[in-house]
Amino acid sequence: MIDILFYVFAAITLTSALLMVVSPNAVNSAMCMIVAFVGTAALFVLLEAYFLAVLQVLVYAGAVMVLFLFIIMLLDVDKETNQILKDKLTLSASIAGFALLVVLICSAFAGGQHLPETSLMPVMENPTGEGIGIPFTTSAKSFGYSLFTKYMLPFQVTGFLLLAGMIGVIVVSKKHSANS
Amino acid sequence: MNKLLIEFLSGYTATNQWAAILPEIMMGVLALCLLAAEMVLPKNRQAWVPRLAIWGQVLILMIAFGFVGRCSIGEFQYFSGLITQTDVTQIMRGFFLVSSIAVCYLGHIYLSKQTLPQTEFYALVLIISAGMMLLVQSTHFVMLFVALETVTVAFYVLVAYSRTSQFSLEAGLKYLILGALSSGILLFGIVLLYGIAGNPELLGASRDSLNYGELMNFVILNMNNMIVKIGALLVIAGVCFKIGAVPFQIWVPDVYQGAPTPVTAYLAVASKAAGFIVLIELVRGPFFGLQDFLVPVLSVIAAATILFGNIAAVAQRNVKRLMGLSGIAHAGYLLLGVIAVMRGVDWAVYAVIFYLVTYLLASFAVFGVMSIAAGEEDANQELDHYESFARKRPFLGGVLACGLGSLAGIPPLGGFIGKLFLFVAAFQAELYGLLIIAIVGVVISIYYYFGWIRECYFSSSSTAVVKDISCGATSSDRFLLGALTVASIVIGILPAALPIIR
Repeated sequence: MIDILFYVFAAITLTSALLMVVSPNAVNSAMCMIVAFVGTAALFVLLEAYFLAVLQVLVYAGAVMVLFLFIIMLLDVDKETNQILKDKLTLSASIAGFALLVVLICSAFAGGQHLPETSLMPVMENPTGEGIGIPFTTSAKSFGYSLFTKYMLPFQVTGFLLLAGMIGVIVVSKKHSANS
Repeated sequence: MNKLLIEFLSGYTATNQWAAILPEIMMGVLALCLLAAEMVLPKNRQAWVPRLAIWGQVLILMIAFGFVGRCSIGEFQYFSGLITQTDVTQIMRGFFLVSSIAVCYLGHIYLSKQTLPQTEFYALVLIISAGMMLLVQSTHFVMLFVALETVTVAFYVLVAYSRTSQFSLEAGLKYLILGALSSGILLFGIVLLYGIAGNPELLGASRDSLNYGELMNFVILNMNNMIVKIGALLVIAGVCFKIGAVPFQIWVPDVYQGAPTPVTAYLAVASKAAGFIVLIELVRGPFFGLQDFLVPVLSVIAAATILFGNIAAVAQRNVKRLMGLSGIAHAGYLLLGVIAVMRGVDWAVYAVIFYLVTYLLASFAVFGVMSIAAGEEDANQELDHYESFARKRPFLGGVLACGLGSLAGIPPLGGFIGKLFLFVAAFQAELYGLLIIAIVGVVISIYYYFGWIRECYFSSSSTAVVKDISCGATSSDRFLLGALTVASIVIGILPAALPIIR
């Protein structure tokens, strides 16, 4: 069952990724990119990485794509500008993509046919040395425990990071009245 | 289960001692207070915002030094290994506070000439200062990266702060793109190290492989591993971008020219200082085992940095670009100290800090004069504008001459002693080749620094003044600049006045 689902979602992801690259219309290719992201999220679900799947949908398919669409709409990139440059870019991109494909196929089929057997291990050890430690899982809860105990300080600093970014957007984009 | 879990999690929170980072927290709170104060204060009282920023920081400085008195020497780990406080980080705390106070003051001078939003500038400067304090304390790559990004993102904004100026926006864009690229390189290096050090197949693998201490043990056991080397190299490259060392220096002249002058000073002094302390902590901590590999790499970088910075600065007429390029050269001298640390000369750390302090005093004196002398568009400050500057403004001319002399390393001033300590450290580390290059670099630097001084004092054509220097210095300007100059001279005569060299 999972195998069939994997092939279905992998096909969806690959098809929409291909459509995204070849589509002449920028908005269409952005839409295809969303489908590719959602397909990847589905693959994450099949790997039981639920938290990653949720993040993939929320951050990439949600926030990042909205940003992309905004820029496409604002900049009006449909206009063809430099044909020679575009041809060169297409050529070099397809060469690079093909090379990557060759390397991936070679490494998948020639090198490691037998991936090592993986198992989930308890990666959180209690710094005080007492207790047994909770096993690492891929659920959001497990991330939350770390985030609000061990990584509390970076978590708080991230708040200031976002604040600095927000202030920056206001400063750079807002019109300032001359008489303050 | 629940009780067990709580017990387990409390193991992590046991070392979350927030009181240990009180100055950083207070800086953050002060930044928020400034933003609130702008909303609350009536329009005619907005001048209180810079005063609140500066005096608030002076208060924090006093409280922070009360801290140094209580826990000065020794290593203290907090936040389950994310942060380690040593005497070096305590000194740097004071360093960043002093530099952010000076930047706030210069920013006040700068903003009074422009129609730009005011409060956000001070808030961002404070956030950067707090971020850099955490950056030099961090002994965990997660903490390092978060603190570094906080500093960098706030700097993107500050560089592009003067949004009406083309230069500033161009500089902001360049800094954003190259800075993001360098963060990417750094992050890639960190991820490689994390992955390889967490591989249970390898000797010394760790569950907490981003921690400096754990990583250090792993790297010593696997020093010939290719991925470890590549990861370390990428991390070093990311840090080298921040300090402006040679293969990654292209952004420096443009960004230094385009950014508002106080921000240029902040980038030149505090950002570079933070980068160097991080570099020293990396080579003493996680990359301790890679000395044989990293010493030649950093030596080549240092030599290229010294030569490039000095030679490129010779032909430069724009003073902000000049300061940027000479800043590259200073980064090269400081790298000498870092290499000396790697070769086992432990006191070279203090030589680097001493040099940074003299660089702070001299640079802020020079940038202060530049802020006062700048006109409406402060990216276009040419050497010609300083024609017979000292005759018109004797005090500012004197401060400028002292600052430039200290940067060049002229004997009675602090910069000379700073260079001397660094070179002695390099000598003890047997870096003779690099030492010769550094001395050649210093000789070249005297040429262009004195070109500027000559322009101020001895320029012959007093008839054709290209642009009149707009406004004079107020008494508080004089106090600050005078204090910086006096401190430069006192340190030059009595190096022991600074409680760093023991």
